[in-house]
Amino acid sequence: MATKDAPVNNPMVDPVTGEYRVIAPGHSFKSVTEEVSRIVLTSHTPLGWWFGFMVAGTVVGILTICVTWLFLKGVGIWAVTIPVAWGFAIVEFVWWIGIGHAGTLISAILLLFKQGWRNSINRFAEAMTIFAVICAAMFPVLHLGRPWLGYWLFPYPNTMNYWPQFRSPLMWDVFAVSTYGTISVVFWYIGMIPDLGTLRDRSQTKVGQFFYGLLAVGWRGSVRHWVRYETSSLLLAGLATPLVLSVHSVISLDFSVALMPGWHTTIFPPYFVAGAIYSGFAMVLTLAIPIRKFYHLEDLITIRHIDNCNKVMLATGLIVAYGYSTEVFMAWYSASHWEYFMMWNRMFGPMGWSYWTLITCNIALPQLLWSRKLRKNVGFTFLMALIINTGMYFERFVIVVTSLTRDYLPSSWGTYRATKWDYGTFFGTLGLFTFLFFLFIRFLPMIPMSELRMMLPQARVREKAEPIPEAGD
Amino acid sequence: MAESASELVQIETKKPTLAEVRAKLANQQGKRFWRSVDELAETPEFAEMVAKEFPSQASEWIDPVSRRAFLKVMGASMALAGLAGCTKQPDEPIYPYVTAPPDLTLGKPVYFASAFPFASGAVPVLVKSEAYRPIKVEGNPEHPYIRGGSDPITQATLLDMYDPDRSQHVLYRGDTRSWPAFLAAFRSMLADKKPSGGQGLCFLSTTVTSPTLAGQWQQAQKNYPQAKFVQYDPVNRDSHYTAAKQAFGSFVDAQYRLDQADVIVSLDADFLGGATFPGFHKLARDYGQKRKLDGTDAMNRLYVVESVTTSTGFKAEHRLALKPSEVAAFAAALAGAVGAGSAAGGANWSDHESRFLQGVTTDLKASAGKCVVIPGEFAAPEVHLAAFAMNQALGNVGKTVVYTDPVNPMPSIQTDDLKALVADMNAGKVDWLVILNANPVYATPVDLNFEDALNRVGTIVHLGSHVDETGEIAHWHINNAHYLEMWSDARAYDGTASIVQPMIDPLYGGHSANEILQSMLEEPDVSAYDAVRGTWKDQLAKGDPEFNWRKALHDGWIDGTAFAPKTVTPKGGLGSVPAPAGGDSVELAFRPDTNVYDGRYANVGWMQEIPRPVTNLSWDNAAQMSFATLEKHGLAENDAVEIAMGGKKIIAGALAVPGQSDGVVVVTLGQGRRSGRVAGGVGYNGYLIQQSGAPWMQAGASLRKTGGTYDICVTKSHHIDQRAVSAGGDGSGTHSLEGNESLDRGIIRYATLSEFKADPEFAHEGEGHDTPEPDDSMFPAYRYDKNAWGMSIDLNSCVGCNACVAACYAENNIPVVGRLQTKIGRIMQWIRIDTYFEGDLAAPRAHFQPMTCHQCENAPCEQVCPVGATVHTPEGLNMMIYNRCVGTRYCSNNCPYKVRRFNFLLYSDVYDWDDKTLALMRNPEVSVRSRGVMEKCSYCVQRIEAVKIEADKENRNIRDGEIRTACQQACPTDAIVFGNINDRTSRVAKLKTLERTYGVLADINTRPRTTYVAGVLNINEELAKSLGEYSS
Repeated sequence: MATKDAPVNNPMVDPVTGEYRVIAPGHSFKSVTEEVSRIVLTSHTPLGWWFGFMVAGTVVGILTICVTWLFLKGVGIWAVTIPVAWGFAIVEFVWWIGIGHAGTLISAILLLFKQGWRNSINRFAEAMTIFAVICAAMFPVLHLGRPWLGYWLFPYPNTMNYWPQFRSPLMWDVFAVSTYGTISVVFWYIGMIPDLGTLRDRSQTKVGQFFYGLLAVGWRGSVRHWVRYETSSLLLAGLATPLVLSVHSVISLDFSVALMPGWHTTIFPPYFVAGAIYSGFAMVLTLAIPIRKFYHLEDLITIRHIDNCNKVMLATGLIVAYGYSTEVFMAWYSASHWEYFMMWNRMFGPMGWSYWTLITCNIALPQLLWSRKLRKNVGFTFLMALIINTGMYFERFVIVVTSLTRDYLPSSWGTYRATKWDYGTFFGTLGLFTFLFFLFIRFLPMIPMSELRMMLPQARVREKAEPIPEAGD
Repeated sequence: MAESASELVQIETKKPTLAEVRAKLANQQGKRFWRSVDELAETPEFAEMVAKEFPSQASEWIDPVSRRAFLKVMGASMALAGLAGCTKQPDEPIYPYVTAPPDLTLGKPVYFASAFPFASGAVPVLVKSEAYRPIKVEGNPEHPYIRGGSDPITQATLLDMYDPDRSQHVLYRGDTRSWPAFLAAFRSMLADKKPSGGQGLCFLSTTVTSPTLAGQWQQAQKNYPQAKFVQYDPVNRDSHYTAAKQAFGSFVDAQYRLDQADVIVSLDADFLGGATFPGFHKLARDYGQKRKLDGTDAMNRLYVVESVTTSTGFKAEHRLALKPSEVAAFAAALAGAVGAGSAAGGANWSDHESRFLQGVTTDLKASAGKCVVIPGEFAAPEVHLAAFAMNQALGNVGKTVVYTDPVNPMPSIQTDDLKALVADMNAGKVDWLVILNANPVYATPVDLNFEDALNRVGTIVHLGSHVDETGEIAHWHINNAHYLEMWSDARAYDGTASIVQPMIDPLYGGHSANEILQSMLEEPDVSAYDAVRGTWKDQLAKGDPEFNWRKALHDGWIDGTAFAPKTVTPKGGLGSVPAPAGGDSVELAFRPDTNVYDGRYANVGWMQEIPRPVTNLSWDNAAQMSFATLEKHGLAENDAVEIAMGGKKIIAGALAVPGQSDGVVVVTLGQGRRSGRVAGGVGYNGYLIQQSGAPWMQAGASLRKTGGTYDICVTKSHHIDQRAVSAGGDGSGTHSLEGNESLDRGIIRYATLSEFKADPEFAHEGEGHDTPEPDDSMFPAYRYDKNAWGMSIDLNSCVGCNACVAACYAENNIPVVGRLQTKIGRIMQWIRIDTYFEGDLAAPRAHFQPMTCHQCENAPCEQVCPVGATVHTPEGLNMMIYNRCVGTRYCSNNCPYKVRRFNFLLYSDVYDWDDKTLALMRNPEVSVRSRGVMEKCSYCVQRIEAVKIEADKENRNIRDGEIRTACQQACPTDAIVFGNINDRTSRVAKLKTLERTYGVLADINTRPRTTYVAGVLNINEELAKSLGEYSS
């Protein structure tokens, strides 16, 4: 992507490649380390952090109330009914899992593709994945009629000699999500070990030294350690890469395997994966832009990152748009009455507003990203990220709820009107996600120092010493 | 018992203790069996002691007490095994059978024949009794008149008996009294009045159907010639009897023999709508039989002229909606046209109406002697006069119409009698008013001001099952014994008498009207049992009287008691036919609620919840009107509308009903009750604008939009199809989207008779591809080696009466979920009647389709359950394992028929387990489901298994027809057939080979075990052509 017309005197632009830099000029190993570790090791927690943490904590309180009442009364406090037996809970499950995908994509696939720019954002993208999976994983349990028996979905040995039913896609979800959660946590943790060593070494407090020391599991930064570290990262990246494709594919099978019009379609796996990455990148931007601003990390998370994320969103957004148009085309081309009616109902039925919201948020507005100028506008990007997150929520809403409101037998058509407990639970998980994220940015290095240091020009091994133009001191 | 006394209430030591009474009774009576304990428990000493010992049984029922405490009370007040058994009070939480009666095996139900007394004629029933708890009421399949089948109200009487809100004591001004205390007061009054011949004593009773009760009154009348006995039911037969008196000079009932009728013309008669119509069960059965096309292509044809949209109207081949005031004129015009006399006055008929009239006339004339004209119970007397004349002129009398003695032994024009009574009351002439099972404070026309008139009555006695609106005002309230708790007798509509047997000793020691009247006679202590036996002594005298009596009890009817046809000829012509109310005035049509009737079943949860036919109203009534009327008054559905009539006003929710005649508002009676935990506050009270002059129709009402909204609860709403033709719609903007889709999707298939003859395979037309073979699936096909259960539902004879739904509630312990849950789609019914409207909603055709689990062989639900909680049995049933269900609800999402029901909340608890009485009603063979569990129709697997066990014991195969599902058993038209489809000779297997049989949604390869027999309409081709109907 040519960015040659960028002003030459802009220090953020690499004069050789003409592209925006991944790291602002003038940084050294030390400055990078300090920039990142000061956030964690400071003894002065910013007031803004406390404020955000409190707000998020309050929302977690709401979630706790919602969940407690849910367990006491039953899922009947939600709006789920017959025929719409799945509502917000499943919408949110799919939405959160989708959001997680960007983290894995950034950390695994981009690592394999040697996309160095990913290094600045991969840590918190991975954290985002984990927190999103935590939020997502709550829902399959919460939405059960008898959540205390949720463990029956696991194939554990029991005296009844009774297994789960392996033909059910919900069963596959259990494996997909639990695998995904495990790999994500391991990958995240192993990637963090060198940085935890740094924090251990730089920590001024006994507590910090003890806990970071514990977590650093004896990291000394020896060559042997680095070799093992690189190998395991690559291996885990290799393991995680298929998950990016498989997890959301499996989740899409919850719908594809069923015979409801609007669910029963073979296009779902690829289009769910694209949608997941789409929403995931939107969430990365939603998080990165305020953090970058608040902690003054513009040097490390640069316009280059924002531009790249926008490009990924544009690309995946187009895939998603292709998916939608294929659905519409197939509704007509299949000559199936069910499909035709389903599509008509999505567009012009009582819940047509949700479809058009989805089209506006996910297809129409993101076309603005073709403009390079807008792609590099931080405020616009933030707004676009929020729009896409909303759009992706509506995509799942349209698939889950609108399809169910009017299915095969017209006598059983119904509607869906979310209750305060539905909203409370949804905003509660947003709060939980934010809450965990606040803890993360306060206590763990959100930007991988070790990987960033490797990107500095100083890290380049050269045959012959020569003056380094951008070197600092 | 002593230990329990302390946990219950304080004992008044002055009064005889239980031990004393027990000793006294034990000496006198010794060990006796349950039937006689009834008498024993009624002895005044004992009754008084019980009342003193447990003055607050009420709190005992309502409070969440242990089952043990409940049984102690029950043991004391009922003592099923004879009082001697109580000397050693069992602590075990079981029934105190010290000596089990020889005919009782715990866990094995016993069936008793009885009869449900109903104003329009008793419904002979078989009551399933589990350990002497009645748990299911079914139509008596061997009864010559009913031959099985029932209706929602009959089914619901079970819950009515176990209703925890029933009154449990004799009350005097709100305080508990004993029955002997009442009797003492009553007898002293009688003694006072004896010299004056009972002057000032009046009885106000519901319609009497018991010959014994009538006999008791007639005897009492001899002693007290001045006492009065007035019968009044809000749903009465005044129109019919007024006309009968005028035409025949005597009260007669008309019985229609639809098995002989090829052409049926209904003049506002909802004879397929439920037990409200006299003789419903037989009419529905005969109607259904003539629509089976069983080896013949002869069918009946139904014309309906109606002022209120009913399911009968929608079963008609040709239906004409008129205003209520036009029906009489139309009837007269029709009578004139068929040559049955002419009437003064007339009306200007529109082109459409004239053609309809012409078509019906031609058809009636062509099938003279094989046709019948049925007038509606709520139509004017002139409609009945016209019907009498037409049936006479067409030679139907003796063939399709038979006149008999009335089923009511004391027929009367009830509204006139009530008016006279109210006049007497207002004149201060009524000293004692004994109200028997009626609720006149609530259920009388508003212009009579019955409540005010009551203020001028000295003493008011109210015998009732509940402390209802009347019971609250009455001085004395006597708790009534339910018909399942007492001895009585009743006649079915054809006159066949049945003995009403008690299935259980009165739960709350209630008393019957028989007992009150008996106390006026010379032998006041004759028990109801003896009184009933006395009534039928002569009938049963031939041969061995004891044997005959037992046979009558066993069979459920007394042979040879059916009425003989009476030869009567109508005289006096058509009367003066009232002219239709012209102009723009809004006419009100009053109708009893299909489920809660006149309000007496309003506290029965099943009846509130089960959606009404056509309107699908649940837990509500509405101001029903046509779309055009709605629009004309600037209303929208769900608007609160004020209906003013004769200076009185009510506020109701506006509801558009397809096919309703314009300019008419239908007001439903029976809701808007003040009392009762279930009934209270539901809907509006239609009696508040009912006028005694013309209780069923009133012109000159006014409608006013109040500006508020009334959130009507309907289980199924209809959307107008706004799609253009290019989008798959019809482009008219007047059709129902659901109706259009049901036809496009092949859910409803039907043809006219000539189309059927031309193409017997019409039901399979357009099925694009062959059904895939079972082996085409990824998963191996199931093999069904022995039994393969299947069901066939005949859409041609289904009349949408809801009997199957109510029966399913009773059989399968289905919880009642309440208004809010119903409104948001969580009604738990396992079988429902889907209603689709075809064509212009101003005058649509409707299709009823009972929908229940299809037990798919290739079941979408089974595949998606992650824990294997819904599985396939070797006999092809699709079973829910409640204990395994974790409640993902995926199965429901994937069910194309949406027949699965989910316990979103703890439904059973709310309505059952707080009230221990309801727990007694539960079918012990069916699990009560808890929160978070999916449930659905099981083809009544408990009945299948019971029969299989019997067959296994006898080492034989199951016979066809031996297993009857609850819905099949309840169906009055025999539309549901269940059986083994592997057995090629079974009825269901044969039905499945019919060319009209089709599977709903079979093209998505669910391989449903339930199939439907497509409807065939025997239309009048000429009339259809001239009206432009059935053109597509």
